[in-house]
Amino acid sequence: MYRQGDVLIVPVANDAVPPHVAAAPKERRDARGRLVLALGEVTGHAHAVVGPGDLVREPGPFGPLLLHLPQGGRVVHEEHAAITLPKGWYRVIRQREYVPGSVRIVAD
Amino acid sequence: MTITTTEGTGGDPAGAVAGAGTEAAGTSFEDVRAWRARAAAAVPADRAAAEAGVRRAYRQAGLPEPERVVWAASPREAVTLVRTTADKGASVREAVRSAPWAQERRRLHTRLGPAGWAAHWAATGGPLWEPTQALVDRIRAGVLEELAGGGTGSEAAEIRLVLLDAVLGQHDAPWLAAFPTDRGPLEGLAAVGRSAGWWWPYARVAVVCERPVALHRDEAGRLDRGDGPALAYPDGFALYAWRGMPVPAAFLAELPGLTPDRIRSEENAELRRVMLEHYGYDRYLADSGARHVHRDETGTLWRIDLPSDEPVVMVEVLNSTPEPDGTRRTYWLRVPPSTRTAREGVAWTFGLTAQGYAPERET
Repeated sequence: MYRQGDVLIVPVANDAVPPHVAAAPKERRDARGRLVLALGEVTGHAHAVVGPGDLVREPGPFGPLLLHLPQGGRVVHEEHAAITLPKGWYRVIRQREYVPGSVRIVAD
Repeated sequence: MTITTTEGTGGDPAGAVAGAGTEAAGTSFEDVRAWRARAAAAVPADRAAAEAGVRRAYRQAGLPEPERVVWAASPREAVTLVRTTADKGASVREAVRSAPWAQERRRLHTRLGPAGWAAHWAATGGPLWEPTQALVDRIRAGVLEELAGGGTGSEAAEIRLVLLDAVLGQHDAPWLAAFPTDRGPLEGLAAVGRSAGWWWPYARVAVVCERPVALHRDEAGRLDRGDGPALAYPDGFALYAWRGMPVPAAFLAELPGLTPDRIRSEENAELRRVMLEHYGYDRYLADSGARHVHRDETGTLWRIDLPSDEPVVMVEVLNSTPEPDGTRRTYWLRVPPSTRTAREGVAWTFGLTAQGYAPERET
């Protein structure tokens, strides 16, 4: 697995990917043709994947985002070094923190 | 880190937008980005453009233009104006806003099908919807609080009804982002959304509201400011918040002078948490002589025991990518009080067990 700031990218075995994902709607790429894994609301800084692949919103244990990189790819961010990913399927997990009585996502 | 929306000029905060890569549904990624900027615009309204848009929206709904367009400096003032304007006529919100919106949604839904529509919404207005709606709800609650002292009683009910008559202008950005707006039934509505805040269409009078003068949010889009109002309108109507949590204005004024004793004596757990975050966990730990509980290669686990409250347990981690000057930023994440090791704490922040958390590369 790979961590870039507050995003963790965890490999998922091909045969574990839920069957409906193949036909699920894909996330649209941004203006630069990237798949955006997480976007900063104010700075616009983004954890994003460059290269061919698909991103699917997926509730449940394989979510919240499933990333497919048939040829591998790179994850980039304005404030973090890029990470090269081998080809395959990945879960994309946002970091959270504990708040008594609830949780909230990390955002700084 | 909070970043302030500041724009030097009025008019459309999205600036000149190129229609690059227009999608089948008539909205491009550029359009969505422009609407995102408009939703967060804290610059004076472009009154001429807004009034032209209002009149156009009436005409597109098949209605005569309003006799008067009246400006308000905030939603609070707008609600008061609406309630004190005797000859304004009936609300025409249904005809001006809801009908054309429903018509466009039906048209697109029919063309794209249920799955296609869902994907289109997810790619356009969907991501904008929640943060914008949260802001709208906070503004409504703030207006209710100031004009009726809260949410109960007949006056509050009347104000709530007025708030429901509003068309949201810049805060209609999420759904406007999902439709073509340069032509067709949404032209007038979109023109107001590009140039002003909330507005109230009545048969003879339209009340239109200024945009905020200040908007401070965190990266998750939550209202967030430690030294002043997180949202402020030109007449002084304002909301105060810390990482999304509403706080009283007087409470913020107290933050710069906090002491560990004062933090310990705060009885409201929510406010005490804000105090700790503002004061700095590290400072508080040093001042109160706390000791770390556990340390491993993922970070350090700290614990602060509080009187009659659950302990504050935090992992202290170093940013993996150094800052430009070579130093590494430390940040603190609160984890459940049952956490025993730093690794368990960091793993929890990603929803994993200590055994399951093993990143081979971190940046």
